[in-house]
Amino acid sequence: MPPTDLTAELEQLHVTAFGWALSCCGWDRSAAEDVLQASYLKLLDGRARFHGRSTFRTFVFGVIARTAREVRRRAALRRWVPLASLVLGPGAVDGRPDPATALVWADETTRLVRALGRLSARQRQVLHLVFYEDLTIAEAAAVAGVSLGTARTHYERGKAALKKLLEEKGE
Amino acid sequence: MIEHDDRQLQQAFGALRREAAAGTPPFGATVAAARARQTAAPRRRALGLAAVVVVAVAAVVVVSTGRNRTGGPLGIGLATVRWQAPTDFLLKLPGDELLRSVPQLGRRGVDRRTL
Repeated sequence: MPPTDLTAELEQLHVTAFGWALSCCGWDRSAAEDVLQASYLKLLDGRARFHGRSTFRTFVFGVIARTAREVRRRAALRRWVPLASLVLGPGAVDGRPDPATALVWADETTRLVRALGRLSARQRQVLHLVFYEDLTIAEAAAVAGVSLGTARTHYERGKAALKKLLEEKGE
Repeated sequence: MIEHDDRQLQQAFGALRREAAAGTPPFGATVAAARARQTAAPRRRALGLAAVVVVAVAAVVVVSTGRNRTGGPLGIGLATVRWQAPTDFLLKLPGDELLRSVPQLGRRGVDRRTL
């Protein structure tokens, strides 16, 4: 894909990509920005290439999910190995939301974010991709890197658990 | 794919999407920040690697000098060392000196004590 086309495609996806990065980073805005920048860099300098085996959106979301995992691993390494920060650079993600840059949510949305935080990572991912990003379960499975059957199980169980959590909190 | 009774979840996620979209940083700023990272990362990585190499070399030097001080392998001049077995005295025979010297001929009489 030519660089101009790639940039235009990324710009079209930018808002939803930021939403997905937020979900991958536990709704921490600064961490999500960091992950999104690192993902765009991979895409723009050719380290992550689109081969047309899936939709472009699924591919970009996969890159963001992998980058978020890498950032989490690096943050963990930084915590355990003091010298690692010299090689890996300063860490932007420490797992805690930055209060200065935190997004402001309405009460209902705060309840949803908190309830999502109590689900397993896979359930949270699949539910986000289906309900927030309007992907099919098959597309969500491709982004999460799991089989369709596994994604379906996470979807059903996650949905039931989320409904229960929201009802509990609503009482 | 989404069932009728999932409308409530759909609406909740819709609200979440709208609020998150309002806080999305501009695309141009995100790409510019990504480009800035690209130029800063190699220099920082090189400095970091250099620091790690310096620390590793210092650690090797400290460990090797510390080992010598605590009785590890020392440099010994073998020419200055002579070791004697405790059973060496058994090799010394009585009259041993007679075997190491040549008897002299033409002397008057033979000293019987030397026989």
